[in-house]
Amino acid sequence: MIKTLIVDAQKCSGCRACENYCSLKHEGYCSPSKGRIHVVKWEQEGIYVPINCMRCEKPACEMVCPKRATFRNFSTGAMEVDPFRCIGCLSCVFACPFGATFVDQDTGHVLKCDLCDGDPTCVKICPTGALSYEEMSKEAYLKLLENADRIPSLVRTALGEE
Amino acid sequence: MYGWAGKILKIDLGSGAFTTEPTEAYIEDYIGGRGIGVRLIYDNYVPGTDPLDPGNPLIFSTGPLTGTAMPGSGRVDVTALSPMSNLRAKSNFGAYWGPELKYAGYDHVVIVGKADKPCYILINEGKVEILSAEHLWGKDTHETQKAIQDELGDPEIKIVCIGPGGEKLVRFACIITETGDAAGRTGMGAVMGSKNLKAVAVRARGAVKVARPQELLDLSIKVVTEMREHPAYQELSNWGVARSMTMMYDFSFFPVGYFEDVNWEEIIQNYQGPAYIEKYQTKNVGCFCCPNRCMNFISVPKLGKGVTSCEPFSGFTGGIWNLDMDVFWEATLLVNKLGIDCTETSASIGLLMELYHEGVITAKDTDGIPMERGNKEAILSTILKIGNREGYGDLLAEGQKSFANSIGPEALERVDQVKGLAPHAYEFRAYHGSALGQAVGHRGDPLPLRNALLEVDWHHAPEWFQKVAKEQFGSEEAAIPIEYKGKALATIISEHMERVADNLGICKWLYGLFIFQDIEMATRFFNVVTGKDWPVDRMLKVSERIRNLERMFDVRQGLRREDDSLPKKFFEQPLKKGKYEGQVLDREKFEEMKNEYYELRGWDKKTGIPTREKLEELGLKDVADEVLERE
Repeated sequence: MIKTLIVDAQKCSGCRACENYCSLKHEGYCSPSKGRIHVVKWEQEGIYVPINCMRCEKPACEMVCPKRATFRNFSTGAMEVDPFRCIGCLSCVFACPFGATFVDQDTGHVLKCDLCDGDPTCVKICPTGALSYEEMSKEAYLKLLENADRIPSLVRTALGEE
Repeated sequence: MYGWAGKILKIDLGSGAFTTEPTEAYIEDYIGGRGIGVRLIYDNYVPGTDPLDPGNPLIFSTGPLTGTAMPGSGRVDVTALSPMSNLRAKSNFGAYWGPELKYAGYDHVVIVGKADKPCYILINEGKVEILSAEHLWGKDTHETQKAIQDELGDPEIKIVCIGPGGEKLVRFACIITETGDAAGRTGMGAVMGSKNLKAVAVRARGAVKVARPQELLDLSIKVVTEMREHPAYQELSNWGVARSMTMMYDFSFFPVGYFEDVNWEEIIQNYQGPAYIEKYQTKNVGCFCCPNRCMNFISVPKLGKGVTSCEPFSGFTGGIWNLDMDVFWEATLLVNKLGIDCTETSASIGLLMELYHEGVITAKDTDGIPMERGNKEAILSTILKIGNREGYGDLLAEGQKSFANSIGPEALERVDQVKGLAPHAYEFRAYHGSALGQAVGHRGDPLPLRNALLEVDWHHAPEWFQKVAKEQFGSEEAAIPIEYKGKALATIISEHMERVADNLGICKWLYGLFIFQDIEMATRFFNVVTGKDWPVDRMLKVSERIRNLERMFDVRQGLRREDDSLPKKFFEQPLKKGKYEGQVLDREKFEEMKNEYYELRGWDKKTGIPTREKLEELGLKDVADEVLERE
């Protein structure tokens, strides 16, 4: 079963390690702005939201690309960009409904999460577990259980057993 | 250039001009961060300049590892002449500003001069602008951050700023970052205020280049993974320091009141820190690229939300006889918004409470508010009055001594300060290594020196930590709190270790607590990032050079052996209760520890001044020529 990168913003501490390690891994230097993931932060609220490619079923980035440079890597599910086909028009950057297709401001190249070929660096170093790499069905099943679990506990509370 | 951004930015607020110079010339001798900062302040400060004069240079320093993927790489060192001590100031903050400065292309920022009107500096990518802050003057630190972000239309801009405390030149005003983390000590906010400088905002998309990227990636992942398995990591990342307070009170390491007691039954039984965290903490947060989240993000309905870390947990509880955690939180938020140092503020309140308790002052001396121990009104009004310089707060804002002086000699002799600053709120009567570090230290606090932490750790497993002390510091006694032996050498080694972290621009807490308890790992990271091949000894030699240069700066300001001391309470009033009942510092043995310290350092025992021989050995002949000849 295919795995995917799952973001739980509730757990994020906003440390930006994912951005920085992503840059180190893909670019060979430390520059969070070159990350294929980005953490949007509201410091005074203590709210931090990591934004990463959602690997949509019908990806806008793929549909708008005039050169068919954006394609799905079927071994990982990641949407990748073929640098030889890409003409740098940034259509995919603006079409992404999540703002999760990034651009290198210095070179104009598109920065797209490739899931590190199935072994994402950001997941390895995320200290809070806000990022995880799980099988989609398993993760969905866990969510289902978590949700269902509320019901018996509500019943018990209503009965005055807890 | 790998590691370093390569440039030092100098801004003159008087003329609005700015220049840059290469960092490279300083690297071999001072590495970066605190080290280069010390050389810059030594060279740029003109002796005789008042700390609040436009000529006092305010220097922000990052290191070669700041902004890299190394865990804990978000630190910035700040220096100037301190308005509290008239000695070299030193403060250090985390959060996200430092890496952003590196990405903008600067390692250090030196700010001199005074703007005609309130202003703030914007460093956007490499570009420097000086913008009006007239509309921001008077705003608290939270409002200032928000207003600048709104005005520039960028919620992710990184800002350090001052609050009303800094504007009004409260001598212990601090600089507050966007997360609430602060350059708390030695009055850096007052120096900013004296320059009419409200904030420094940075936004950049550049990079820190790395000599061996694959090795850095592998090493960092390994270190982060190991760190996450450490028990201290689990504790700090879930609770911050809230739970370890109980342990500290048990060890008689935390003073109660103004160093009056160490065993206040009520706080030992009723300390509500952990319960408060459990109820109101939304999450733990840390700094840039740090897996360890040692700060608590607390949100209390009606009172407000924000971040706190260690100091307020003792300062605003036991330090002022307070058990009400709501008061703790209100006080913490207030000092953060006003931009004043929580340690000096809680000590100032402690002083008032002691004076009131002993009958030296009455409510008349404090605008009609009785300074009863733990009194909520006394605590909160004092903070507001200091921050806004109203009534008795105006005197306290000049320092504890100014207030005491207005009362008389009976009050003055009760002021507990070291080199013009409140000592860190730790109890030194039973912890002799900590006491020595405090007394000889560059400013009024020694932590987190490794040997001081060791004296606390020792209680958990005495034999094990004695073995560690023997290996690291040459004697088992170095770990045993009440011993006098071995402390001098342990302090020196720890001082050198501490400076390695500060020079590299990384967190010394992280470094002191986890896997970097020796400097092998830090040196390895340094070499991987910069492409150099420096041995550990060389890193330590730089630390020694910096320690001596720091000392010489202060010697030039008039510092002598007799300034390396502690409040007389520590020598005269034995602990009344608790684990270390009866303990008091023996003055003779204490002076003997100092002798040993100076001798090992190659400093003159009589004066506490580094010898010419030592300075020349360290390549500081120019400093010896300038300062020693004049003495």
